[in-house]
Amino acid sequence: MTQATTGTVVRADAPPGGERIIEIEGLNKWFGDFHVLRDIYMSVNKGEVVVIIGPSGSGKSTLIRCINRLEEHQEGRIVVDGIELTDDVRAIDKVRRETGMVFQQFNLFPHLTVLENITLAPIRVRRWKKSEAEERAMFFLEKVGIPEQAHKYPGQLSGGQQQRVAIARSLTMGPKVMLFDEPTSALDPEVIGEVLDVMVQLAKEGMTMIVVTHEMGFAREVGDRVVFMDAGQIVEVGTPEHFFQNPREPRTRAFLSKIL
Amino acid sequence: MFVPIAPRPAPVPTRGPVVWLRKNLFSSPSNTVLTIVTGTVVAFALYNLALFVFVDASWGQVWANMKLFGVYRYPADLLWRPLAVAAGMMFLLGAMAGVGGRGSITANAFFAFQGLVGLLSVLAVLFWPSVRVLWPMVLVAGFVGFLLGRARPRVVRALPWAWAAWFVLGLVVLYGVVPGTGPLRVVPSRDWGGFLLTLVLFTGIIPSFPLGVALALGRTSRLPAIKYFCIAFIEIVRGAPLIMWLFIASLLLPLILNVDANSLPAIMRAYVAITLFSAAYMAENVRGGLQAVPRGQVEAARALGLSAWQTTMLIVLPQALRAVIPAIVGQAIGLFKDTSLVFIVGLVDFFRVADLVSVQPQSLLVTGGVKLEVFLFVAVIYFFFAYRMSVASRQLERQLGVGVR
Repeated sequence: MTQATTGTVVRADAPPGGERIIEIEGLNKWFGDFHVLRDIYMSVNKGEVVVIIGPSGSGKSTLIRCINRLEEHQEGRIVVDGIELTDDVRAIDKVRRETGMVFQQFNLFPHLTVLENITLAPIRVRRWKKSEAEERAMFFLEKVGIPEQAHKYPGQLSGGQQQRVAIARSLTMGPKVMLFDEPTSALDPEVIGEVLDVMVQLAKEGMTMIVVTHEMGFAREVGDRVVFMDAGQIVEVGTPEHFFQNPREPRTRAFLSKIL
Repeated sequence: MFVPIAPRPAPVPTRGPVVWLRKNLFSSPSNTVLTIVTGTVVAFALYNLALFVFVDASWGQVWANMKLFGVYRYPADLLWRPLAVAAGMMFLLGAMAGVGGRGSITANAFFAFQGLVGLLSVLAVLFWPSVRVLWPMVLVAGFVGFLLGRARPRVVRALPWAWAAWFVLGLVVLYGVVPGTGPLRVVPSRDWGGFLLTLVLFTGIIPSFPLGVALALGRTSRLPAIKYFCIAFIEIVRGAPLIMWLFIASLLLPLILNVDANSLPAIMRAYVAITLFSAAYMAENVRGGLQAVPRGQVEAARALGLSAWQTTMLIVLPQALRAVIPAIVGQAIGLFKDTSLVFIVGLVDFFRVADLVSVQPQSLLVTGGVKLEVFLFVAVIYFFFAYRMSVASRQLERQLGVGVR
């Protein structure tokens, strides 16, 4: 079997005409000697929902973790909302304030209540008053459907509720971009729906989202573009319809046939 | 059609001492034999111990030297000063207990200590004229604090500051302010001793806590100078026994500070040694806690825009310290008992007083000596405080466990 994309660089450019919010040019990253991201070119317009799919170990999580500099890259440029990510700590903090991230393992702070989890960053980073932060927090808790859990600790909530709190926590900071790193992979099947519902609603309200997921139903419903990655490279880019009806690359087909 | 099974009442538990005995001690012939043999040995040992404690022992020397055990050579006319410090502490503990309410950690600790103070008050009223009024006043101070805490729970905010202030002020009260004579005269620290000294040295754990946290964080620092300094400090200090550090501190500290050896009180040298020694162990305990905090916690905090410092102070440390409370309390208990090593630098702490009392001329007149009596007494007192810490720690763990994970 030959590697279809050897030497080929597939660009995942946002459609022209939109306002670019993320630009990634020639991104390369290594973990030690392992070349985990190879010549990534990708851009995202404001309001777009980009879904990244691919087998595990394909570098999709690493890619979105580079966007808020949880991982450092060695080559290439990443520009988020006009700010280039370099070693400049202030630039990094600025980007992180404008990008929310939702993790596979929720990563709520177990020693703080739900409300404290959500208001911590607004109070400490945005310097909001406590009352103001709590008001906003309650607004987003209502939005994700669990205002009654505000004074509980994360350990007292179900996985689906915890992930919704994590989403509310990110949203309360008022981010311009939301990054989702396999948000439903650690959830029981019966609660995946409640998290996806929140994400679908968010997408429909015009939030810019980059979502690493295997939930093809989500991609089909709200995804503007789907990016298929394998072995650290972008293999194929297209609309959800393109992927479901007529994927071009054999590797894409092989992958999709396994998960659909 | 599916029909849910109706709930049934749980089987009635068979209880009662007879059932318990049969189940736990006499469940089989071999168990019965084991029970009888062990029971006989334990009963025999307890009988002999009781025989000694209540019949054979001569407690006269312990009883006659209570002041030495308490404060050693601290002037008898100034006993109101250490007891004023004790009263302040019981007042503050009482206030915490009052705010915390029945069943809280502080309330349980408070009532345990009030029990001890109460016992001492009764003894003072009956037998000890010099502190006849003072001990009951400590008791009263505790209850006043408790009532204040109950009536005004808002004082809880001021309590940390009050404790810190009392920590400093208490030392001033003990030490005195004017040289010469009078009620406020200076009591040189070489006259401090007994249980008073043990407690003073034990407070070395307080400054060792922030120091230990700083060392633990420094050890994980990315700056090599800080990192290697912290590693070197921790490993070197842990590499030698406390008794050696006490010895070194008494010789080395005056040298480092370039002052005459006699101008630095022995107690201060011992205090520095104990604090630094404790800090090194504290650092390793805290480091264990730091490693127990999942990486995702840091990532989530950083992704929200919190700075590295904020992440450490607000997210990592609170979780890390919670995880190592048992280890820290274990260390406190150890340090409490290890203060008895200060005899090596000529200090007379609680333990050393016991040694001195046992070789007093009057003690030697007692047939068989009084060593056993004296050390039994000392052991009981050490145990009371060490066990109290252990109980508080277990309750703290349980409380913090609520809602976490």
